Amino acid sequence: MKKGLKWKVILTVGVIALAVFLATPPKEKIRLGLDLRGGLHLVLQVVTDDALNIETDQEIARFQDLLTKKELPFGMITRTQPGELKVQDIDTDRLGQIRDLLDDDFRNWDYSVVGRTLTVSLKPQVKVQLRDMSVSQALETIRNRVDQFGVAEPTIQRQGLGGEGIIVELPGVDNPERVLDLIKTTALLEWKLVLAGPAADEESLLREYGGVVPDDAVVIRGDPRRRAEGYYLLSRVSTVTGKDLRNARRSVDEWNNPAVSFSLNADGARRFERTTGENIGKQLAIVLDGKVQSAPVINARISGEGIIQGTFTIEEAEDLSLVLRAGALPASINIAENRTIGPSLGADSVRRGLMASLVALLMVIIFMVVYYRQSGINAVVALVLNIILLAGALAYFKATLTLPGIAGIILVIGMAVDANVLIFERIREELTSGKSVPAAISLGFSRAFSAILDANVTTIIAAVFLFQFGTGPIKGYAVTLIIGITASMFTAVFVSHLIFDLTVTSKKNIKKMSI
Amino acid sequence: MQFFKTPNIDFLRYKIPAFALSGILILAGLANIIIGKGLNFGVDFSGGALIHLMFRDTIPVDQIRASLRDIDLGGSTIQEVDRSGKEYIIRTQLQSDLENEDAELEAHELMGIRIIETLRSPEEAENRARGLRDLNEIDEKSLVLLLESGFPEDAGRLARGIIAYRVKNHIIGDYGELTAAGTDPEAVDILRNTTYLGSLAVLSKETVGPQVGADLRRKALQATLWALVGMLAYIAVRFKLAYGVASVMTLGHDVLITLSIFSFTSREINLPVIAALLTIVGYSLNDTIVIFDRVRDNIKLMRRTPLESILNSSINQTLSRSIITSGTVLLTVVALYLFGGEVINDFAFVMIIGVISGTYSTIYQSCPIVYFWHKIFKTRQGFRK
Repeated sequence: MKKGLKWKVILTVGVIALAVFLATPPKEKIRLGLDLRGGLHLVLQVVTDDALNIETDQEIARFQDLLTKKELPFGMITRTQPGELKVQDIDTDRLGQIRDLLDDDFRNWDYSVVGRTLTVSLKPQVKVQLRDMSVSQALETIRNRVDQFGVAEPTIQRQGLGGEGIIVELPGVDNPERVLDLIKTTALLEWKLVLAGPAADEESLLREYGGVVPDDAVVIRGDPRRRAEGYYLLSRVSTVTGKDLRNARRSVDEWNNPAVSFSLNADGARRFERTTGENIGKQLAIVLDGKVQSAPVINARISGEGIIQGTFTIEEAEDLSLVLRAGALPASINIAENRTIGPSLGADSVRRGLMASLVALLMVIIFMVVYYRQSGINAVVALVLNIILLAGALAYFKATLTLPGIAGIILVIGMAVDANVLIFERIREELTSGKSVPAAISLGFSRAFSAILDANVTTIIAAVFLFQFGTGPIKGYAVTLIIGITASMFTAVFVSHLIFDLTVTSKKNIKKMSI
Repeated sequence: MQFFKTPNIDFLRYKIPAFALSGILILAGLANIIIGKGLNFGVDFSGGALIHLMFRDTIPVDQIRASLRDIDLGGSTIQEVDRSGKEYIIRTQLQSDLENEDAELEAHELMGIRIIETLRSPEEAENRARGLRDLNEIDEKSLVLLLESGFPEDAGRLARGIIAYRVKNHIIGDYGELTAAGTDPEAVDILRNTTYLGSLAVLSKETVGPQVGADLRRKALQATLWALVGMLAYIAVRFKLAYGVASVMTLGHDVLITLSIFSFTSREINLPVIAALLTIVGYSLNDTIVIFDRVRDNIKLMRRTPLESILNSSINQTLSRSIITSGTVLLTVVALYLFGGEVINDFAFVMIIGVISGTYSTIYQSCPIVYFWHKIFKTRQGFRK
């Protein structure tokens, strides 16, 4: 063997051995995408206005307190939009005092006065900050919940929708609806004293209050899923909220029905104890996301531990305790995009994709061998090596194989022999024009190369743009295409040439070749 | 073997009829897109819901349509898969003009949920009210909880087996199947008492809000245009501007022909279809470049020959190769079309049109365009050394 050939053989064998090593066993090394494994792909939009509203409402309360303390008269205070409030009927003679108060205690707020109305609004950069924070918090909360539920390899990241988007990808989830609920629940839990109710409608509820909701109360409906129908009149102030929880877990009540038992931190326990002690015989409503879950009667003073009952199934109790442990979302969430692929469809796609690949491969192999005889076998060897290299590269780059990705592999099977065909046709031409076999081979390779390079580069350019634009599955397709075509340059040009050198050219005085 | 010896066909003689043929096809397609049916954008691009269902019992299309009409979605597309009478794909777009943007963002998601609920049989609600669980929906963890009462040791293994059976068959038709598949009869008895068999299984559900779709449309258009610009630049550098322009016009031709044919079929444009279009943008240049490459060689060899005959001989010399490679790609795409299944079918269809159109357009569009370019601008034939 010539010296030059020796290192070429070593290089080729080395590259192939490396690819085989990287890709075995394929079941473990090649990650399947959501569309092949089944799972959820969600694009969530965090309603960041919620965060601004909460902030504004808190500030309204603080502002009222301060104005009252300083004995400054004021009329209605209302939230006009997220991050803006208006105070009516201020005393314009004492505007200076109001300005001082705002400058000292409300540094994040701008204000303006028109007539007797004061408009106070959040500074733009503070708004941006608050919105941004609420998305980060939501992301953390979701991550927390998903981790506790136990999903392997979740992807959760911020993306899209003008900075308000979160992308969640959960492979291999077998009950998507349940996980979706788990992610979407705001899980804002509050305990509030019941002032009146439950009643069938608001009118009968407010009869003894003269049809008007008192200042210190709110009307909240029962959650039909918990068979807590009707309207309740509850105190505006919550005794304790989810923030005061130390822990929550699934348990059973005295009749052995699924329930959630909770324990409170020191501060919450103190407040809970005081309220229950003072209100024995009254009802205490448990409100989750603005719906009454149950309203048990307080039988005795309760300290730091209690139980939430309702008509829970085991899973519901499990999930409720989970979201309570993981904490509430800072804002509500909209599902902007939901792609749920069941595991059975994924398995189907894998089966069909494999089938199509095998048929494509066989057809191409048969054609090449019939048309080019022994040289066809050379091309087939190059093609099989190409697929091995592709698998190795996919494993190395930790790329996910998607259904469009499988389509990409099938296309690569068709395109990879393109380079071989170009070369073989050139060799045939050179042989017809009377060149010797070794000369025809080396001329065929060198003359076909420019066309092979140019043709493949354009396909790669298109694939790169596709990768830029695509979402998960399409990215997977672009990746297989780019890798496959690159590998085909190596196998068709380098390896095929080497095989010819080893088989045909080495024979002395060769007169004919099978092509 | 060999299909034919190097032929000697005067391809360029037919340049005008070829332009006319393509022109008519594209114009008809564009007319259909702009005035007629328009392009059928799928859920990915226009927002909406796509739900792939498998029913437990065969169910006629009319019955599904009637159920959907009850919730004002009678206009949905209902596609039966494999003539099974059990497997259907339902596509719906909500013509929502909701004031509230948040509501609109989630409208499709809620619509998807509503469709599934409507199609469930009425006795399911009763079963659920009795506290039974749907065995065709239940997750492995919950199944373990149900089986633990009778099989404290083996619940995990049993649940895994049942779920695996369900994954293989999409849906469990009756409890006897589980026994036949080798599940412990006692375990099946427990399930008979704690679960019911839901009338349908959701194989996949995709709901896309309008915002996401609009975003994607913009991106797809950008990617396609940039890819074309990339091609133009590359070919202009490697060959000459005339060849770059001819290539890109040829590509534009291929994309338009594909879109035209697409507008006449009732298929919809989804993400894989765009991926296929972009692939055609990359791939159909293959032939074009191979011929141009040969033209590049021949111009150096045949100094005195007029360009028209150089183009002709280049096409003839590379003809067998063009047919073979397009042939191998066509073989693979046809395999994909026939065996690749429902999801990838549109992709394969676009590729088939694209490969055929690409081969034809190389011969009858790109070379004549180069010819006319030289005629109009009187540029020199030669290449930079």
